[in-house]
Amino acid sequence: MTDEREQDLANLREMVRDFLGDRWSEQQIRDVMADGTGGDAAVWGRFAGDLGLASLPFPEEYGGAGAGWTEVGIVLEEAGRALFCSPYFASVVLGGAALLASGDERACARYLPGIADGSRRATLAAPEVAGYRPGDQPRVTATRMDGAWTLDGHVAQVVDGATAELVLVVAETGAGTALFAVTGEPARTPLTTLDLTRPLARLDFRDTPAELVGAEGAGAEILARVLDVAAIALAAEQAGGAARVVEMAVEYAKVRRQFGALIGSFQAVKHKCAEMLMLAEGARATARTALDALDRDDPEVPLLARITGVYCSDAFVRCATENIHVHGGIGYTWEHPAHLWFKRAQGSRLLLGDPASHLERIAELTEPSGLDELTTEAATA
Amino acid sequence: MSDLDDFRARVREFLDAHAERRPHGTAPKWGEGEDRLSGFTTHTDEEEKAETAAARAWRRELFDAGFGWLTGPVEYGGAGLGPEYQEAYDELAADYRIPGQRCFVVGLGIVGPTIAGHADHAIKERYLAPLHRADLMACQLFSEPEAGSDLAGVRTRAVREEGGWRVTGQKVWTSGAHYSDIGELLVRTDPEAPKHRGLTIMIVDMHDPAIEVRPLRQITGNADFNEVFIDGLFVPDSHVVGEPGTGWRVATSTLSTERRTMSRGGNTRDYDPLPRLQAAARALGRTDAATRLQLAELTVLSRVVAATTRALAADEERAAYAPALGKLLMTDYLLRLRSVADHVIGPGIVADTGEWGTWAWHELTVRVMSQRIAGGTDEILKNIVSERMLGLPRG
Repeated sequence: MTDEREQDLANLREMVRDFLGDRWSEQQIRDVMADGTGGDAAVWGRFAGDLGLASLPFPEEYGGAGAGWTEVGIVLEEAGRALFCSPYFASVVLGGAALLASGDERACARYLPGIADGSRRATLAAPEVAGYRPGDQPRVTATRMDGAWTLDGHVAQVVDGATAELVLVVAETGAGTALFAVTGEPARTPLTTLDLTRPLARLDFRDTPAELVGAEGAGAEILARVLDVAAIALAAEQAGGAARVVEMAVEYAKVRRQFGALIGSFQAVKHKCAEMLMLAEGARATARTALDALDRDDPEVPLLARITGVYCSDAFVRCATENIHVHGGIGYTWEHPAHLWFKRAQGSRLLLGDPASHLERIAELTEPSGLDELTTEAATA
Repeated sequence: MSDLDDFRARVREFLDAHAERRPHGTAPKWGEGEDRLSGFTTHTDEEEKAETAAARAWRRELFDAGFGWLTGPVEYGGAGLGPEYQEAYDELAADYRIPGQRCFVVGLGIVGPTIAGHADHAIKERYLAPLHRADLMACQLFSEPEAGSDLAGVRTRAVREEGGWRVTGQKVWTSGAHYSDIGELLVRTDPEAPKHRGLTIMIVDMHDPAIEVRPLRQITGNADFNEVFIDGLFVPDSHVVGEPGTGWRVATSTLSTERRTMSRGGNTRDYDPLPRLQAAARALGRTDAATRLQLAELTVLSRVVAATTRALAADEERAAYAPALGKLLMTDYLLRLRSVADHVIGPGIVADTGEWGTWAWHELTVRVMSQRIAGGTDEILKNIVSERMLGLPRG
């Protein structure tokens, strides 16, 4: 990486961190948890519109900044640290990656500029996004009548499903799967969620009008790409969250006294904190390596996506768990912020497939036939 | 053509002329090649001598061709190039059969950087080029019977004399002392000063008759390390590294370098045993779900260790203490790998049944434990990480 690019990335990180430091507080997190909207419209307007952070991964012809996923990763790392509640993940990562992967220039031109300036919030509805395994849930079906498509069925959990203006759906057409943009209105049922900072909703489709995005039959390929990109992007958010909870635990261990001493002077506690730092640093380095691979179109992306899905998910959950433990009783209260990060960690761990499912896929990809698969993907990429 | 491309072409030319190219593809073939794990092999004395001789011959050719110390300063025999050149060299060299470089882990991985970082001009000029050309081999004389984890408690005494110091004491766990020409010695020069302030680092001549090296048999059955007895050794002032009394600072830097080396598997090529374990699982027909998932878990950890070590190496702000964290991650990975190896290899790991590729794993079973002790125990490293990187109070 050149010094100039490194400086640009450092500047971007500082800008996002400063902005969130000024504009995002624990009270705002709790407001979002209470109202279920998943974000604060005014802050989002400045974040996406004024700072242009939602435009990062998109080509300039679609209103994007033409930057890379590494830049998106920096934004998400900082968002994860601050537990910034916003449509960023659903809209920019899930929606944006799906449109880009579709290769559908008309749909990209129509939808990406709004995603890029933050005015149109998108999401992707597919069982796999919310962590269901293939076959767990019936897929939405798409039917063509007189050249127009309609959707039927439901998706049990959709990130930001109650609020997204653009819902993209992976549906079964009879000739494989395909990506659709919903032009009608599905029935949206907000769900009670463990992590109240990232709302989920059930979407029901009944004769709901939609437009085909990309080729019929390309749905599986598009979905596979989105799941890779999203797992890596989510890993950056998880790494940021893990770093933050390590800080919280360490800050507390430096002020809390028991037995007449700071608890951070006891080896049982300081070694626990050291182990948390190992996890958080491991998560950050692994996420950044995978983001870099995405930007380089490395043939190992599918493998790295699963590796981040295992390690960064577990690292965040373990750090968030130990953070509560270091705090003791106060960490188990509603008023203390420790549980907010823990619940975000737990919710994130079950997005896009749980670690055990990722391990299963890693096993396939690292067996001889799987290595062929990676090479073939590289050859066709 | 960029300078780096030109450099690659010259390296390729050198390697083609001096080494045999390895068959394409790095995946180990079951039943072919040495039935040993690189990085976890106990050699007989004869094998060690042969390997060391071959490694030294290789280093001389490499050095004379200008590739022996790529990132070192030109005035001390280095090529004065950036780390990207070392990376380019390593990448190319991975395609060739090159004698094992294990005997340089201490001399070039630990002692060399200490001299380069802390010694004065005369010592650098005298020793750095010969170390990198393998004309001289070096060892590290730190631990003592009463100074293990509490390293700053060393008792080996250096008493002031005209023109230098007279040293008496005992060192232990000294790897490679038996083939070393010089040693990096940690001694107490001021018994009145507070523990950490009375220490000094000296470069000593291992061939001096005042030094006696006695081999120590390890858990592996072989004697890679030694006891070193020092009885009235004279060390001239010119061989003191830095000022007397600054030894702890220098030793800390040496240990940090040692941990960085250990977190990369001692810079040994093919160090990561995972590809071989995957090959073993295939060859032995271990296709059960437990094996597959445990190997997948190792793939995750292996990649995380590599990514984290790389990231920490690039982190200049925390360079002094980050290697402790890298070594801890590597240790966790190897211990996990040892446990999975038990499942994959099975009974062939505890008895030599003659089946290819199984018995060799017993060495890893045993050797992994030194990874947790050498260069600072896990517990000492967690103290360092929590106190120096996280700022938690000392107990």
